[in-house]
Amino acid sequence: MKRPLVFIWLAVIFCVGNVPLVGAENTLAKIDKSGNLTIGTRRGSPPFAYVNPNNEWVGFSIDLVEKAIIPALNKKLNKQIKLERKESTPQTRIPLLTANAVDLIAETMTDTQSRRESVDFSLTFFVTGAQFLVKKGSPIKGIQSIANQRIAAQQGSTNAKIIRARVPNAKLLEFPDQPAAFQALAQGQVQAYTNDGIQLAGLRAKAPKPDDWAIVGEFFSYEPYGMAMRKNDSDFRHVINVGLMDAIESGLYFQLYEKWFGPKGEVPYPLPAETKRFLQMQVVPK
Amino acid sequence: MNYQFNWSVLWSGQTGAWLLQGLLVTLEISILGWLLAVMLGLFSGALRTVPIAPMRWLAAAYVEFFRNVPLLVWMFFWYFGISPLLPQVLRDWLLEHGAEFSAGVCALGFYHGARFSEVIRAGIRSIPKTQFEAALSTGLTIAQAYRLIILPIALRLILPPVTNETLNLLKNSSVALTIGVAELTFQTRQIETYTAKAFEALAAGTVVYLALCLAIAAAMARIERRVAIPGMISRGRTGGG
Repeated sequence: MKRPLVFIWLAVIFCVGNVPLVGAENTLAKIDKSGNLTIGTRRGSPPFAYVNPNNEWVGFSIDLVEKAIIPALNKKLNKQIKLERKESTPQTRIPLLTANAVDLIAETMTDTQSRRESVDFSLTFFVTGAQFLVKKGSPIKGIQSIANQRIAAQQGSTNAKIIRARVPNAKLLEFPDQPAAFQALAQGQVQAYTNDGIQLAGLRAKAPKPDDWAIVGEFFSYEPYGMAMRKNDSDFRHVINVGLMDAIESGLYFQLYEKWFGPKGEVPYPLPAETKRFLQMQVVPK
Repeated sequence: MNYQFNWSVLWSGQTGAWLLQGLLVTLEISILGWLLAVMLGLFSGALRTVPIAPMRWLAAAYVEFFRNVPLLVWMFFWYFGISPLLPQVLRDWLLEHGAEFSAGVCALGFYHGARFSEVIRAGIRSIPKTQFEAALSTGLTIAQAYRLIILPIALRLILPPVTNETLNLLKNSSVALTIGVAELTFQTRQIETYTAKAFEALAAGTVVYLALCLAIAAAMARIERRVAIPGMISRGRTGGG
């Protein structure tokens, strides 16, 4: 009876010991072997990644992966790659990547210098900036009028950081998720809720009475969204970027943009001409 | 693992100060929540053993209602549910003076009060009826029997489960971050936001909770030994004495 146990233990130790080896392997080889691209994404960030009324896990970010990145991977690896979705949150997305649980974060993650110390980013696929959601007719008109006001923010966002630095006397309240922050705003516990403009537009579009709410203020931050991946894996990163560049160049990106953010989309949000130009200028020649 | 650990994020810049602030808020909310929980627990736990049926039902209703609903729901209840019912003046005052913190204290206190109540009831019930009868036969009144015989023994008996509940309460205080209380777990998330160093931030939080809990457990074990009645409650280490 003793011996099989020893073998089991050896097997366990071997498996556990193997995990770092898997980590050392590059992502393309991992995807080639498993036939799956596993992305970390959101269930509650319309229209980038959310579960729609038909119970399908969809969104702009997920569409980009499915329609632009998967074809690029198929071409590179010469086989059909399947897409697998996993839930990630601001707190778990970097650990999920580094633990090899997901290969790519495709949601609403802002590319920042401090995040680049832990992960690598694709090129920017969406540009927004922080604004405020207020009750219609609120005296708050932007970051200039929030001194001494109670402001809700989503924890883990870059916006709270900026408010703390620029308006230290604003009373900042941070909630871990959007629904709690919106509830606090709806009940008057706070006078405004700050987040990326596009997220506020998504929230407003989904609110019971969208007309009761207004999005105010100039962008007081710059939030370029990128897809994150493990550091130092430039072959994988290149395939991701080629997928995105091809989509921008072929116009697929703008079709998808129209689908989600056009006048008939989930969250109407016209693409500014300068953002369009910026996206196109990220495409390097073949 | 393809990850560069950088432990210095924990003491460079403001992170050290954040952790300290978080620790203080965790301690404040836990201590206030604990006091509320113990008061409610003692009161309702005692009520459940009295011979007046409606009072027993009332206490039982409190316990079952509060312990069978998740703490997270209670957090939202006290913050989002109660606040709109308050008069405007009181509401404004609360909002200026930490509405989330008081909601957190109430949620923790009422939830754990229900759990403390069961511990206290179990402690009183675990004393054999004969002990009570023996006390009465020596000429003590019922109140004296409770005060001099039953409660002193019961309170000693429940020390281990009380330690357990106290540790649970301390750790559950992290749920208050859902209503925006800037406690320890909140601050470790904050560090992650600013530095993108999730592992280091979580490790720091873990170490602080572990240290706090070990300190509480050690202090309670000391109290337990101090007040132990020789031969009454046998503890493995003291060999029944």
